[in-house]
Amino acid sequence: MPKEFKPKIISFLCKWCTYSGADLAGTNRMKYPASILPVRVMCSSRVNPVFMVKSFLHGADGVLVGGCHPGDCHYQSGNYFTRRRFAILKRIFDTLGMESKRLKLSWISAAEGAKFVRVTTEFTEEIKSLGENPAKKKVFL
Amino acid sequence: MTKTSIKGADISNKKGITEAILAFLEELLSLEDFDAVLIPMRVPSEDSYAWVLVNDENLLREADPVAPVMPVQGANALSSCSRKGEGNIRIAALMRPCEVRAAIELSKLNQVKLDTVTLITYDCPGALPLSDYIKDPVNGEKTFDSVLAGPGRDVESVKQVCRICDDFSMLPASDLHFAFYSESSGNILLIPGSKKGSALLKKMDIEPSVDISSWKENIEELKKEQIKRRKERFKKVKGMVEGFESLSETFADCIGCHNCQSVCPVCYCRQCYFDSETSRLDAESVLLRTESRGAVSLPADRVMFHVGRMSHMSLSCVSCGLCTDACPVSIPVADLFSYVADRTQDTFNYRSGKDKEEPVPLKTYREEEEKGINELVKGAEG
Amino acid sequence: MDQILSIDKGAEEGVVRLLKFLLENDKVSGVFTLRRTTGKGFFDYALITDPGLLEDAIPLHPFMNVNGGKIISSLPPMKKPVAAVIRPCELRSFIELVKRSQGSIDDFLLISYTCGGSFPFDKTLKDNGRKLLPGYWKAVEKGVDPDNIRQSCASCEHFVPQNADITVSLLGEKDLSSKCLIYLHSERSTAMTEEFDAEISDGQLDMKRFEALLEKRSEQKEKDFKEIKIEDSGLDGMIDLFGRCIGCHGCMRVCPICQCVLCDFESCAYDPDTSVIANELPVRGGVRVPTDTVLFHIGRLSHMSFSCVGCGQCTEVCPADIPVSTLFRKTGEQVAGIFDYIPGRDVDEEIPVTIFKEDELSELGND
Repeated sequence: MPKEFKPKIISFLCKWCTYSGADLAGTNRMKYPASILPVRVMCSSRVNPVFMVKSFLHGADGVLVGGCHPGDCHYQSGNYFTRRRFAILKRIFDTLGMESKRLKLSWISAAEGAKFVRVTTEFTEEIKSLGENPAKKKVFL
Repeated sequence: MTKTSIKGADISNKKGITEAILAFLEELLSLEDFDAVLIPMRVPSEDSYAWVLVNDENLLREADPVAPVMPVQGANALSSCSRKGEGNIRIAALMRPCEVRAAIELSKLNQVKLDTVTLITYDCPGALPLSDYIKDPVNGEKTFDSVLAGPGRDVESVKQVCRICDDFSMLPASDLHFAFYSESSGNILLIPGSKKGSALLKKMDIEPSVDISSWKENIEELKKEQIKRRKERFKKVKGMVEGFESLSETFADCIGCHNCQSVCPVCYCRQCYFDSETSRLDAESVLLRTESRGAVSLPADRVMFHVGRMSHMSLSCVSCGLCTDACPVSIPVADLFSYVADRTQDTFNYRSGKDKEEPVPLKTYREEEEKGINELVKGAEG
Repeated sequence: MDQILSIDKGAEEGVVRLLKFLLENDKVSGVFTLRRTTGKGFFDYALITDPGLLEDAIPLHPFMNVNGGKIISSLPPMKKPVAAVIRPCELRSFIELVKRSQGSIDDFLLISYTCGGSFPFDKTLKDNGRKLLPGYWKAVEKGVDPDNIRQSCASCEHFVPQNADITVSLLGEKDLSSKCLIYLHSERSTAMTEEFDAEISDGQLDMKRFEALLEKRSEQKEKDFKEIKIEDSGLDGMIDLFGRCIGCHGCMRVCPICQCVLCDFESCAYDPDTSVIANELPVRGGVRVPTDTVLFHIGRLSHMSFSCVGCGQCTEVCPADIPVSTLFRKTGEQVAGIFDYIPGRDVDEEIPVTIFKEDELSELGND
């Protein structure tokens, strides 16, 4: 029997919003997929796009960046830069024909526990349909 | 273990060198004592080779133990998987003699941890210039097949430093050595060079019982020829570096890209001194130079970079030739550095990478230095 | 309307005359240009303060061993501006560097020219370049691509400089061996050349004459991009393209935009860790070492591709002949296109990652 594909989604979550949103989901006993491997950052703009590339190339099936809604950043403008950087990385992946669908940006506030559950569940399903990241088995990266 | 009592194990299997080495390594990998084999492999695009730390036997079968080119120095590859972290990967590294020597030097400089590494060398026929191979990989493969087939050492197709290399065979520091430059009938001998190597052969039930003296004699003969060729080449190189005129002309095309430093196994500094703030051209330097000479060549200090690099690492230079391969303007950096390195190492009766225990001369001193250095100092004092 | 200086000497001689005038009359503190270093065909860039040494200057030679924009950004400011003769791509590089606080426009009198391209390294080393010059200038006079120029030049659409103080007109000028036409764009340049001996007129560079060449260059660009099949490459394509990469980082080192003193990818943060390798070994069966070859390139793309000016130095310096410039330029154009950004176009146009609009990219993050 083939082993069921359990995706690994490295998730960079901003402490003030998304990470707290995830906490809220937890305290409300809402289930979200075990595929999410959270990495707490102080702001989504802490995420150097290379973190996403490195996660991808080292085998992460998906990479998620979660931050405050534009306009609500704890540090005023951090997430605006996150948005630009993500757009750039997505364009790079698309230009190189790499699976940009494995990268996701999501604005989830501290109050949106339910949104966190929905987004992570949907993303996990999408990753499942994409299959395992082929980078996992590559030797010559 | 005295030299005369060393024997080798005949591992020839009539299928050639690659097969024999791979068969041995496959068996080695199946032992519990090793996590991986470090070995060159042809890249998927089939236009070069890369170092791969192999853990899977099927993958190992596709490896190329004696690769036609040396795009990355084995010691650099080894350093990257032994220097940092708690991984403790137990590696059997199959590398060229110059790569093993570089690894030994790096171990003295804390860049390679050798306790979990078994160093395996072979009689190296040399390597092809990287740019030649890349321009035409199909032809490169053919050329290397004939380089490997011999007879004797090729002096046309291989890199310049390989043509004059006199350290192409077993080293005091090898744990195991594949000997195939043998006069008689293409036998392949596996020779242990250390306690580690002997213990490993014992574990694998391989008995070194063959006398290696005819092989040794053959190697000594080949070495003599190489030393002659080396002297000849260095006569020419002397003219290229002696005197400021010649030195500047030799480096006139240099663009200051620092590729040579980047690929050098011994140049391990994270930030090269010559890339640091200290070496930066400041306003005062510009003024001083323009006042006295009317102009400043830019990028500045290219000759100083080379002479400076020599003063920093020539004691550890292993003449592997990666610097020449990496130079985009075809300066024969390796010839120049080899020539200088031979002489600086001679000053201390030191041979880079020969002995794990011998400290790099700049890390130690004697109150009464040997003759060589005293004379040099006296000479400089005028 | 520009002021045009017309000198009855060959183009290069005319430029050297101008440089001499500027230096001798203390209008500039120095001249940055190409010069011959020995009689044996070697050349390099130099900052010259002695007008006598200008006789060795070869300001218009199609040899670019290092990116001049990168070099001048490393020069400390002098009492007066330095007259710098650089190609359009070098000028654009300098503008990108000025935006990154690596230099100041005020420190230089920027002299550029309509550029026919430069030769690859292997054609200009030692004395080889000299032989190619007559054919090169004939082609430039005709306004067509000279033979054997770099791939990155044959596909360059930015051969007319945008932000120079002075432009020397070369492409399409009928007789470069006997006439030198110099266009003065800035007030500073007209002020500095007031007493310079030349015929003065008014006019503007006729952009129509460049249309045919521009079309050809754009076609070639598309051809180059198609050749390395970027969109179809995917992960496997990247592995193939960088299969022979030796990790020397030469491309990064010679890149004018990459000016970090210690590159991220050479810092501790990206040091190979044996525990990572040990974990991956059983999954992959084999790990290429040193690790992270492809990561370096994709990472560098994410850091600077939008500022790539396509000068081609990366491809020239690569010991493994990888077409780095084509990849970076294509990807860079795609990325810069998101923000309608063109590197080197305008010194006041901010780098896309340093600014933002509150209302933009609304398709991201909201689903």
